[in-house]
Amino acid sequence: MLTTLASVLDRCVASPPNILAALQAVQAAFGYVPIESVPAIAAKLGVTDSDVRGVLSFYHDLRTEKPGRHIIRFCLGDSCRATHCERTLAALEKKLGCRLGETSRDGRFTLEKVYCLGNCALSPNMMIGEELYARLTPKSAAAALENHP
Amino acid sequence: MKVYIPDDSAAVSMGANRVAAAFATQPGIQVVRTSSRGAFFLEPLVEVDTPTGRAAYPNVTPASVPGLLRKKPTPISRIPFLAKQTRYTFANAGVTEPLSVEQYGFAALARAREMTPQQILDEVKKANLRGRGGAAFPAGVKWQTTADAPGQPKYIVANADEGDAGTYSDRMILEGDPYRLIEGMRIAGLAVGARQGFIYLRSEYPAALKKIRAAIARATEFGILGQDIFDLQVVVGAGAYICGEETALLESIEGKRGMVRFKPPFPAVEGLWGKPTVINNVITFATIPDIILRGAAWHASLGTATSKGTMPLQLAGQIRYAGLVEVPFGVTLEDVIYDFGGGLPRGCRFKAVQVGGPLGSIFPKNLLNTPICFDAFARAGGILGHGGIVVYDDQTDLVALARHLMEFTAAESCGKCTPCRIGSTRAKEILEAILDGDGTDADIALLNELGDTMKLGSLCALGGLAPMPVLTAMQYFGKEFRRRT
Repeated sequence: MLTTLASVLDRCVASPPNILAALQAVQAAFGYVPIESVPAIAAKLGVTDSDVRGVLSFYHDLRTEKPGRHIIRFCLGDSCRATHCERTLAALEKKLGCRLGETSRDGRFTLEKVYCLGNCALSPNMMIGEELYARLTPKSAAAALENHP
Repeated sequence: MKVYIPDDSAAVSMGANRVAAAFATQPGIQVVRTSSRGAFFLEPLVEVDTPTGRAAYPNVTPASVPGLLRKKPTPISRIPFLAKQTRYTFANAGVTEPLSVEQYGFAALARAREMTPQQILDEVKKANLRGRGGAAFPAGVKWQTTADAPGQPKYIVANADEGDAGTYSDRMILEGDPYRLIEGMRIAGLAVGARQGFIYLRSEYPAALKKIRAAIARATEFGILGQDIFDLQVVVGAGAYICGEETALLESIEGKRGMVRFKPPFPAVEGLWGKPTVINNVITFATIPDIILRGAAWHASLGTATSKGTMPLQLAGQIRYAGLVEVPFGVTLEDVIYDFGGGLPRGCRFKAVQVGGPLGSIFPKNLLNTPICFDAFARAGGILGHGGIVVYDDQTDLVALARHLMEFTAAESCGKCTPCRIGSTRAKEILEAILDGDGTDADIALLNELGDTMKLGSLCALGGLAPMPVLTAMQYFGKEFRRRT
């Protein structure tokens, strides 16, 4: 693990250092930013641990826990609200057995909220991985899960 | 025979890729992937050439593909939603192949190269182009300030952090006509003397990221971009709404927490890494090529006295014909919602409309006569913002919506200033109490007072505008708030 982290960080050296880019690279490689990797990242970039933790805690995309195999970004944006997405969300939470911000027990899905996927003309929406699902109903949202084993 | 199918992610979310795959198995058919026209209620919209121009088949499914072309298509000019629009910035939408340099042409860049930097600046100033990201600040003034600023190097930054819920016009340009953005940024570089640019793109747009990266690679092959010409990079955001605020965006490009900076100094003077920086919204840059080609006078001839040109409005929420509507400033909100949008879906009744994203005011029916114009909206107590229009039906609980919007602000506040950081959390708590039936008249008075404090005391537009939807909801739908107390 550490050697791989080192190889990821080798590609993140910049002047001046770019903490966000380094954290994004670590997350792209491991799926999350293990909190124990913070000192190594800070040392490599020549910044303090608190600089790194500050950026890590600021951005919603960055996570410090291993996510499920697939990440569901369920939109709570205004248009999805206007089209009553809460009904679909409730059904999805029931189906997955987990709430927003949690991972299903089988480790298959992490359910996250997102504020707008830019598909507001076809609300309500969610994205699984990079696949966008539009005009969701409780039924179609459940069916979408089957595309992501 | 050529069949044109959109490659836009909204069209793909309605099955455009499956439709394209179904056509690919048909003999004698050449599938051409285009962008979307923005009539999303018709997607997947499949088009063919006819002697009188393109004609279309709406809502195509893979099952309907065999034999479809034997049916008579509808000419695009006979689809009222599209025919009534004034398309300039989105003229290529649904027509061209997004990554074809030949089809795009870069004619405006060629013209700009024959002009002096000051001639370009004068043209943008005379056009009276106001920023389309939300603040509506005159682009020409920004550009001139950067051109005159002493620091080196100078930077061009495109704000593609389209975070306002209910908006998608940036996404459509990024996916559907990326060279228009690149050309606008490139012309800005010529005008102010910058040779490096950044596109700050939100992470929620993976398809846009692929397209704009491919477009940059292709433009580099054609000598339009390049390290010695104009170096353009994409920086991907990490899910923070505040990074759509220009100074927070610059902090984020620098790899820091997206904390808002004090202004002045303005980015035009001290921006990215402290250097003079032009930062504009995607649509602002995408409007530049037409201003250079058609002239400032053309742009200034469209619109109202103070809002010139066209505005791509984005219809969303409970609306029958949802999609992108580009029209000159001056048409009324009612025209847009009813003439273009067809009103609400069957069985739904109008309750309110929110224009300008999550910071936009909630308008009742009697404000639908407000013209689409930055200043008319300001006078009516709202914002036009980035042009998102979300319609709410009578099933919407406005207290719950107000609580949701304050929860959003509390989650997205950068935390630098107290009115926004603490105010949004306290306002959310008060709204939760009202929602639970524990509110009192004093709570409503307190909410109004807190809203005023946020409006007047916040450092940026997030804290300054966040109370607006709540205050306007209370102003126009006060009964709903009082009923629970």
